[in-house]
Amino acid sequence: MAIERSGDIFDSILLADDMFRGEGYREGYAQGTCRGLMGGRRHGSSHGARLSNEFYFYHGFASTWKYLLQQNTDAKCRKRLKVLESLLGLIQDCPLVDPQSAKLPNDAEKIRAKFRQVMELFVVCLQLDQISCLQLEQRLHVSLE
Amino acid sequence: QLLADENTRGANLTTHYKLIIMSWLNASVLSSDDVFDETADELSLMDKEWTNNMKKRVLDGYVDGADAGEDASLQEGFNQGFIEGAARTAAVGTLKGTVCAIQSWYQIQHPGTPVPASVTELLQLITQHEHQVLDSINKDLENPPQTVSDISESMEDLEVKGCSESDCCKRAENMDMDSPSQPHTNCPESVKTTFSLSQSLNHLVQRCMDIVTELGLPHEIKDDLEKLKTQ
Repeated sequence: MAIERSGDIFDSILLADDMFRGEGYREGYAQGTCRGLMGGRRHGSSHGARLSNEFYFYHGFASTWKYLLQQNTDAKCRKRLKVLESLLGLIQDCPLVDPQSAKLPNDAEKIRAKFRQVMELFVVCLQLDQISCLQLEQRLHVSLE
Repeated sequence: QLLADENTRGANLTTHYKLIIMSWLNASVLSSDDVFDETADELSLMDKEWTNNMKKRVLDGYVDGADAGEDASLQEGFNQGFIEGAARTAAVGTLKGTVCAIQSWYQIQHPGTPVPASVTELLQLITQHEHQVLDSINKDLENPPQTVSDISESMEDLEVKGCSESDCCKRAENMDMDSPSQPHTNCPESVKTTFSLSQSLNHLVQRCMDIVTELGLPHEIKDDLEKLKTQ
């Protein structure tokens, strides 16, 4: 009986130790979760905004040009239209709502390469400093790696 | 006799375990300031050491929990933020792409003729708007709006009770007027910014639609632009 009682004393000490630690852990976990969500949101928001801005720029550019060319039937225009449609397709398939997708970095590279092809094809004299595509690309390369 | 023996053994064991507990507590004591308090008896000393020790356990648990909670939620926060951020720049990106396409189309169609000022001006305004949107996203995250739980906790701290008096809101307004330098909560400010940004975007979209009409460009462009307008 006395031995059982002594066992209880040790159990109580160990239980109290776990209980207090557990209490702190739960409180810390809740605070840490809050901090993690905020920190993650800060980074995610900035990356999402930049990537979306870049891709929707390409989308707006390509779809407008598509409308401008759709009346023309010559071979040159048809070739341009094909490239534009290919770019629009790539953007539509890009998982912009799933930042964890393994496809995203690869798709982003494909989209940029296709947009460069569009630029070459159209011999577009775009002022890159104004559009800041290059800056965006540089930033995105860093963020996606 | 048996009962007396049992009681003596029990008392001896209790003393024995008391000593074990004390030595265990001594080994993990945090602050030893109170240890030399000569007036304190053995029991109160044990209590203090016990409390210190358990405080340390709570703190250890808190630190581990905070790290684990942060690690577990970082990705979820990133995903949420990514989608939110992406939604906020889609319209301005599309609009800028559209105006750039119109500008480049004009350059190809009318070589040697300068691009209409309305187009270049609009492009500049869109670029400004784009920076404002990106700035507002960063600002919102630097000063996040208070969560409901934060506010309710603050209200509890301030012992704010329900709005029972009829003139309490009026008094709050007066207080606000009396102290204009007092910082306001971030929420109304960010809502105001979002509202003015969406108004500004609608205005820019309308200007682009006017240019499409002026230049006699396909109506599909206008149909797509209309979709960019926000309520």
